[in-house]
Amino acid sequence: MEELLSILKNLKPGVDFTAQTDLIGDHILDSMSVVMLVGELNDTFDIEITPVDVVPENFKTVDTIYAMIQRLSDD
Amino acid sequence: MSYSSILYLLPFLGAVLLLYNGVPRKFRWCILLLASYIFYWMGSPTTLVFLLLSTVAVYFAGIFLNKIQDGFELSKKALDREGKKSLRKIIGWQKKAVCACTLLFIFGLLAFLKYYPFLSENINQFFGWMHLAAPLPELKLILPLGISYYTLQAAGYIIDVYRGKYPASRHIGKVALFLSFFPQIVEGPIARFDETAGQLMEGKRSTYKNLTFGAQLILWGLFKKMVIADRANAFVAEVFENYARQSGAVLLMGGILFTVQIYMEFSGCMDIVTGSAQLFGVELPKNFARPFFATSVNDFWRRWHITLGAWLRDYVFYSVSLSKGFGKLSKTAKEKCSPFLGALIPSAAALFCVWFCNGIWHGAGWKYLAYGMYYYVIMLLGMLLEPLFARGAAMVHLNREGGAFHIFRILRTCVLVVGGMILFRAESVGAFGEIVGKIFTSFSPKTLFDGTLLQLGMDGWDFLAVAAGCAIVFVVSLLQEKGWSLRERIAGQNIALRWSVYFALILAVVIFGAYGTGYDQVAFIYGQF
Repeated sequence: MEELLSILKNLKPGVDFTAQTDLIGDHILDSMSVVMLVGELNDTFDIEITPVDVVPENFKTVDTIYAMIQRLSDD
Repeated sequence: MSYSSILYLLPFLGAVLLLYNGVPRKFRWCILLLASYIFYWMGSPTTLVFLLLSTVAVYFAGIFLNKIQDGFELSKKALDREGKKSLRKIIGWQKKAVCACTLLFIFGLLAFLKYYPFLSENINQFFGWMHLAAPLPELKLILPLGISYYTLQAAGYIIDVYRGKYPASRHIGKVALFLSFFPQIVEGPIARFDETAGQLMEGKRSTYKNLTFGAQLILWGLFKKMVIADRANAFVAEVFENYARQSGAVLLMGGILFTVQIYMEFSGCMDIVTGSAQLFGVELPKNFARPFFATSVNDFWRRWHITLGAWLRDYVFYSVSLSKGFGKLSKTAKEKCSPFLGALIPSAAALFCVWFCNGIWHGAGWKYLAYGMYYYVIMLLGMLLEPLFARGAAMVHLNREGGAFHIFRILRTCVLVVGGMILFRAESVGAFGEIVGKIFTSFSPKTLFDGTLLQLGMDGWDFLAVAAGCAIVFVVSLLQEKGWSLRERIAGQNIALRWSVYFALILAVVIFGAYGTGYDQVAFIYGQF
């Protein structure tokens, strides 16, 4: 979780990600930042996030992103 | 049959509603499908075959993808981890081949019918310059009604099945109705299978709420289309067809009025089609969210033609930017150059594909390609310069969250959008260049006040009607932007007030709508794509 928060902080400095409830709906993460985030997550956690995984439900909060990482790591 | 015609609004919609509610629930989808094919046949009888071909192709491809996946699920039980991995790879390739062939077929139809004349003309011209014989014959092709819309829906369906988002439908009627539903076949919105197909098959009875809300939206759409857009059309057509004779100020006015026209017309059409679907209890996806309150070009495209933007994002942008090739390239750039470049490469490449597709989707011509590139360059510059802007703003202590800066950003977006609209409406890229040149070199502001504007297809009353219409739409949009649900509020009023609002809108359309002598019925611009 710490690694994820650090990646998010680097991507969007100044945003308190733990307090956010809808990162996509509130336009904190747009499609550009999602692509950058996916690249970082793939490299850091050695997973493969595909377009099927790029849905708002998976990127809504820090917890949903973390849950997706764990799910893909288990696959 | 135009969505704003009496033929559509009264006899057609009325008859379908009566029949729909008159048959048992399990047959209601048949009425919608029959109505959709009749609607299509009335609009474009000779090209119905292309819609049928696309429907059959994606239906059988979907079933085939299901079979491949089911086969994998059965076989994998008997395999160890390595065996599963290698089988998954083989299955992956099989599914990819089925999906690619289907996409090639449906997009092939679109490409041939929509782009062949443009491509053959340019290729032949090129051969002419080289003093060689023209290699491609000239073909007079008819563009099937709504092909740009139903092809994207069909492609979205098959890609979703391929990606495993949902299993393919085994009901060909469901796929056929999803692709042909009459309110959305001409101009969209471009729906996803899991959004609307279930609703279409459900056969909900038309409730009082659906009927009143649907009728409200249709009326609102007619107001935007007939009172504002069709009235502005005369001026816009005159200015752009004779741009060489106009001053820069008049051309700019033409650009602004065309922006107003296309917004009122397209969003008005979306209100009519969404309202029509609502009469049958079907909620179509939203295509507009008050785009002229956008604070950036990116924000504008999140609010304008939302379903096209979302389609391109999900099936082009993410497919390209998250592809293995760009992943590797990005990693190399990150290691050998800079993290910024590594992050920029996949986004910039994917964005190029999105805007290339967006441009050519709008039409086969250089100006549409230029239109796509116009937005690509703006967005790319925005991405590249954002860190610089942020640093500059911090240096001069500019409050980027303040109200004044917010208004500045809205106005800046409007200027860029009007620029794009002038390119979109100009007859060619060259004409766009001349128009922009005139705006900057021979503006001649006096032509705005010396009566010139009144000689170009709109008189003083026309301008007044358009301005009043725009003011009403602006106030309604502002209230919606602030979170008011006007439809709910109107529905909650007593019967006298409620009907006063409806009658006022009906009267506005009847009295101020542009029709009768001097006005030709104006075809929906987005219906021609």
